[in-house]
Amino acid sequence: MNLGTRAILYTVRKWKKTLLIFCLLLSITILVLSGLAIADAQEKQVEELRGTTGTNFTVNRNTATGGWGNGGNGSYSTQEYLTSDMMEKIAAVDGIEGYNASIRTILCLSDANGQWLEQLEPTGHSMVDCQFYSYSCINSEYHSLFLSGALEMCDGEMLDLSFDNGIIISKEIADKHGLHVGDTIQAVNDPFSNDKTKELKIVGLFEVVADKTDERNNYNEASYYDYANNAFVSETTMKALLENYEDVGYASADFFVSDPEQLEGIIQQVQKITSINWNNFIITANDEVYERVSNSISDTGTLVTTLIVLTTVVSMVLIILILSMSTRSRKKEIGILLAVGITKPAVILQYVIEVLLIAVVAFPLAFLSSKQVAGMFGTLFNKTAENVIVTPQHFALVAIWGAVLLITAVLVSCIPAMRLKPKEILSQME
Amino acid sequence: MNIMELKNVGYAYENKRKVLKGVNLSIEEGKMYAILGPSGCGKTTLLSLMGGLDSPSNGQILYDGQDIEKAGLSAHRKNNVAFIFQSYNLIDYLTPKENVALTSKLPPQPILERVGLTEEESKRNVLKLSGGQQQRVAIARALASDAKVILADEPTGSLDEDTAAEITAILKECAHQMNKCVVIVTHSNELAKQADVIFRLKKGDLQVTTN
Repeated sequence: MNLGTRAILYTVRKWKKTLLIFCLLLSITILVLSGLAIADAQEKQVEELRGTTGTNFTVNRNTATGGWGNGGNGSYSTQEYLTSDMMEKIAAVDGIEGYNASIRTILCLSDANGQWLEQLEPTGHSMVDCQFYSYSCINSEYHSLFLSGALEMCDGEMLDLSFDNGIIISKEIADKHGLHVGDTIQAVNDPFSNDKTKELKIVGLFEVVADKTDERNNYNEASYYDYANNAFVSETTMKALLENYEDVGYASADFFVSDPEQLEGIIQQVQKITSINWNNFIITANDEVYERVSNSISDTGTLVTTLIVLTTVVSMVLIILILSMSTRSRKKEIGILLAVGITKPAVILQYVIEVLLIAVVAFPLAFLSSKQVAGMFGTLFNKTAENVIVTPQHFALVAIWGAVLLITAVLVSCIPAMRLKPKEILSQME
Repeated sequence: MNIMELKNVGYAYENKRKVLKGVNLSIEEGKMYAILGPSGCGKTTLLSLMGGLDSPSNGQILYDGQDIEKAGLSAHRKNNVAFIFQSYNLIDYLTPKENVALTSKLPPQPILERVGLTEEESKRNVLKLSGGQQQRVAIARALASDAKVILADEPTGSLDEDTAAEITAILKECAHQMNKCVVIVTHSNELAKQADVIFRLKKGDLQVTTN
């Protein structure tokens, strides 16, 4: 009788032991396959995050290295401003998707009838309550407040250079005054001077997402600094509103990078632009959002990897223990087989075949089962079920390594018995 | 002609206690030999050495003129000798037929019938057989291997008198009619009386008595 036949007969006739090992292998394999699918979904999510979250950096005037002047409103920095030419050169660096720079001022806003609009929590002084902290936008999509997630568009569209007289206000202010996208309001810089009043069309509304822990948003609603009391206007609009004032350039500009992993390299490239005197400007990376989200995803990834490793190690230990106990109980059989002239390698090979016979059924069944349950496990790690997919590649990996681990487990479990001479085994049996 | 020879064979346990000292013996086909001696004198050890289950501390064991160590103990156990044990030592998940097929160079069923097992009994689980039936299966396994030497360690030790007598008769038949060389370790004087030659072991030394 050959060892293959003995292996099959043992597996079939000792069906309780076979069933135990089968159930163990099945559950472990399902867990590992699901873990691999979740890990894959994790990796995909990180890649998508890189693509969708992006990150940005800001170029600011370095007032520390510039001089100071005195004027009617006190001292002011004489540091060089960013020009459109500088910004375009920076934006031309590979990896930069877009940019925005803003001129900031306090605009007084009124409705189409000239009735002043009010901040969210008016103080009762109409000339204070009508003031809204306003930014001009080359492209409001890349304004730092939108990039950081502090504000989110909820209606209409973003402003860019294609808009002449557009404005974006908060939904809270719009609701307060019964305003909607498409309505007309008016804006003036200083109503007490001869600054022009312009008619602006509301092209979009934003919601304030940042909570009161945001350092800007911790102003109360009675301040134009409060995000709900901010507004964004097109650049041509701002220039028209400020035509009475010197156009000095931009104090800062935000540049959007689509792949956060490239941020550092891109900043280094930007700093190599020799036509810009980098002593006069500071570059600040603003990757908190990406870092926060990617850290969270990375933590989940670490957790998943740890669980897979732990599951594999624990299951390996468990299988070795069970196989060791099984081999111990088969010492008599080993002694008999050796006594009738069957070699030790042949005995070990029989045991290996027995385990592999079980694995040949357990692994494919686990593959089919894990396709159903992996999605469910994935939801425990904040993955959507449809994104957690067990692939044939996962199965191949698990089958190959599983077989290797099982063979190792059998060999390890056979060591105590195989170290004995046949006489010693038979003596112990007697 | 001698099928096996032991020349100056000695054996000591790991604690250095010498159980066999310079044993010299030879055995032939067609004869039944009994090994007698007090408990712990080394009877089973001597049988184990002859069967290649262990190696002697000194001396040589020759089978058909060839040192069994050089030929390979595993090959010696497979081709030259067959064991029968007091506790039968059958594989519990195999039927009698399949147990015999473990060593089988010959068809198992005729051999099983020769030792007195029916076809129905041959297909049962071995644990469902009586002691005597199990020992018959063990004898059949030994015969199926076609080995020239059958080594039996207390083959009737677990059996009642009548069954023991039946087993003894079968072993005698193996020796005298099938031309096997049968070596039996036993405490039973009844069985020893049936042997052609008696080896007495005492304090590691062997005495030979011919019946």
